[in-house]
Amino acid sequence: MGLITEIRDSISNVVSTLFSAQDPKRIGIYGPPNAGKTTLANRIARDWTGDAVGPESHIPHETRRARRKENVEIERNGKSVRIDIVDTPGVTTKVDYTEFLEHDMEKEDAVRRSREATEGVAEAMHWLREDVDGVIYVLDATEDPFTQVNTMLIGIIESQDLPVLIFANKIDLDEANVRRIENAFPQHETVPLSALEGDNMDEVYDKIADYFG
Amino acid sequence: MPHQCTNCGRTFADGSKEMLSGCPDCGGNKFQFRPADADDRDPPRDAEPPDPPDPAGTAAGGSVARTVGSAASTVRNLVDGGSGSTSDPGAGVGADTDPGFDPDSDPDPEPGSDPGTPERTGAPDTEDSRSPDPSPGESASADARAEDSAQADARSQVVSPEELPPSGPSAEESAGDPTAAGAGPEDVPERDPDPPDLAELRAELNDQFESIKILEPGQYELNLMELYDREEYIIALQEDGRYSIQVPERWHD
Repeated sequence: MGLITEIRDSISNVVSTLFSAQDPKRIGIYGPPNAGKTTLANRIARDWTGDAVGPESHIPHETRRARRKENVEIERNGKSVRIDIVDTPGVTTKVDYTEFLEHDMEKEDAVRRSREATEGVAEAMHWLREDVDGVIYVLDATEDPFTQVNTMLIGIIESQDLPVLIFANKIDLDEANVRRIENAFPQHETVPLSALEGDNMDEVYDKIADYFG
Repeated sequence: MPHQCTNCGRTFADGSKEMLSGCPDCGGNKFQFRPADADDRDPPRDAEPPDPPDPAGTAAGGSVARTVGSAASTVRNLVDGGSGSTSDPGAGVGADTDPGFDPDSDPDPEPGSDPGTPERTGAPDTEDSRSPDPSPGESASADARAEDSAQADARSQVVSPEELPPSGPSAEESAGDPTAAGAGPEDVPERDPDPPDLAELRAELNDQFESIKILEPGQYELNLMELYDREEYIIALQEDGRYSIQVPERWHD
């Protein structure tokens, strides 16, 4: 009996591994600009594949095209979860080139960056509608989470019935306030982390495996 | 402890005046309301029905039966309600310089917010000024116990107009306008169940342009709901207001 059970279990493990191998979940990393989405995407990709996803910057809207890292295999508690990470441009309702001038950028470059960022938001919203199986919503824990963009995007994600994890990023900074984010979205699980420093990444991967595995 | 500072977690009695000038501990100006139980008398709920009428959503949203909570359904209604207005993909992209609704010009887009005054104080504040009558209202008999000392104290003292900061006119406006008692958006608390907030948000969005407004080259305003809602999407913007879109492979009528 025990042998048969074992064989059956191992067969079902192989089957589920096969299915998950064929069909990695596409997880969109969403959030406002400068929340640390690319830093997180790079952290995850480097931890599990050795490669990065894209360049990080303290200047908002560094990511202006959605970037994908496919077949990231995360191993957790003996289980293996395969996901495609989609790092998306920061979503905002307003893009203004003058914001970039403060970062020593020429006007022409700032205008182009602004235009590309706007296109990037359109693309991110399109991906949200069509192409993701789950969402990691990244927030800068030092910023006020009660914004129109956050409320609207979380509402859209909920209306799509997509699994969502809220990541309270930048907890390495003194001003970080995770409780404020938990209060803003009590209906969802909030995971504190510092993608830059790698703080609390074990819990991050546990939750990713739980939610998207 | 119905009120809680969202910043440091300090709690306040219902109707407490301490919050009116910000959290004494951390200076935070956002508070969430946690009713002791569902029947607790809650002035904002009295002022605003929890499920506001939604003609656009109910007309067009019948096809979707999922219920994933009030916030989600309101957004879904918004999505469905807006889907009929996307006939012209180019309508939203142009050199229109009408400032229109500007979601980011206010650092805090929540309705009724005022950077100078605590977020959560709209209800007790306006209640004080427009109903000095000590009668607590229609639900008083059922919830007399809800009238705690903090509420009674707050009710007993009506601030004089001279004490009000010039930048915080909501109390004066409410007092002078009896119609504001019913559904003024400034009465909507930040953290109450989301329908009033989202209804307000939807009204604002309905007043917005279509998907992308070009204020001038390099300055754009985006209507996220519209961008989310459309099947085709904008892949390149030109400085002169022209743009490229990618249309879906299978175009619906």
